[in-house]
Amino acid sequence: MPDIDNTRLEAVVAELRRTPPLDASFDRRVMRAIRSAAVRPLRLISPLMPMPRWRVWSAFAAVAAGMLAVAVVPSVHSSHAQPVQFVLVAPDAKTVQVVGDFNGWDVSRPAYAAENRGGGVWSLTTPIPPGHHRYAFLVDDSLWVPDPAAPRVADEDFGKPNSALVVEDAP
Amino acid sequence: MRLAWCAAAMLLTASIASAQHTPISRLNKVLDAPTRTAVLAIIDSARVEGLPAEVLVNKALEGAGKQAAGPRIVAAVHKLAGELRSSRDALGPASRDAEITAGAHAIHAGVTQAELTRLRRAGVGRLLTTPLMVLTDLVARGVPPATASTAVVSLERAGLRDADFTAYQRSVRQDIDRGADPAAATTTRARGAELRRGGAPPTRGP
Repeated sequence: MPDIDNTRLEAVVAELRRTPPLDASFDRRVMRAIRSAAVRPLRLISPLMPMPRWRVWSAFAAVAAGMLAVAVVPSVHSSHAQPVQFVLVAPDAKTVQVVGDFNGWDVSRPAYAAENRGGGVWSLTTPIPPGHHRYAFLVDDSLWVPDPAAPRVADEDFGKPNSALVVEDAP
Repeated sequence: MRLAWCAAAMLLTASIASAQHTPISRLNKVLDAPTRTAVLAIIDSARVEGLPAEVLVNKALEGAGKQAAGPRIVAAVHKLAGELRSSRDALGPASRDAEITAGAHAIHAGVTQAELTRLRRAGVGRLLTTPLMVLTDLVARGVPPATASTAVVSLERAGLRDADFTAYQRSVRQDIDRGADPAAATTTRARGAELRRGGAPPTRGP
């Protein structure tokens, strides 16, 4: 076995221990390599799925779009809603809203604000889903008025009675 | 890929945000805690019984919208739950939700369960929502429940359509507004509508 030249060996070790010069993009390149090598969640279950990934994404997107359609667009949910016109003659009113079962008795929904058509005639035409509904007009944010042209509901639990409306399913 | 994740997350967020505007979720927003607890208990019981629970949600929301006190809201919802139960018992378990709801309002107005059952027998297989709505309206305008019920049952037997019922209600309302006696207007207009339909005039009372 030949003798080891300690001086030469130490020189080799020192060379190996020396940090090589790094350019400015080194960190970025390393992180990019790590990210590309990382296991994506979908890749974990991909062996279990007998379909290409693009189809999985398409299905996912379709489900999400469906949820959005049902939740966000009420007219899709109640596709048989019929347009109903509400009319109130209130010459001194400053605002008139239609509030009822069909909008959750929410007095803050601008979509149900009637428009002044002149001569004190306020009207609103809006789609209402099929079924039996109770409603009333809210005049100037304070006065509840039943629809004088509609059948009454004798449900004066909270003051004045409401009006009734039956919307039938479209044929 | 990242774009797809973002799009899906946005859709989901929009769905959740929208779901918070459903009637039942609005109860959490507009009712105080004790009222909400009591109302939700009644609604849950109604749902278990198969009653149209959404009607109760709407009643509670109406109370909140009209700024009623919590105990008053609970009492109204509780009373309506009982009326829905009575209505379904009288109209039959196969009745539609809208019929049960309209029947509950009729009971609230003073119509008896027996009168509702009589109307159901007169209109077997037909949707009674509009006749029940007209019946409730008549009673609310001062027509004695028995008189209103007899008129509506006879019109149902004569085969009046919903549009005919609505026209009948309008005629009676105008008569009453002009000063006619509510019971007389109801009976007279019913006889006229029935004759126009080609049926026999309603039998006279004793």
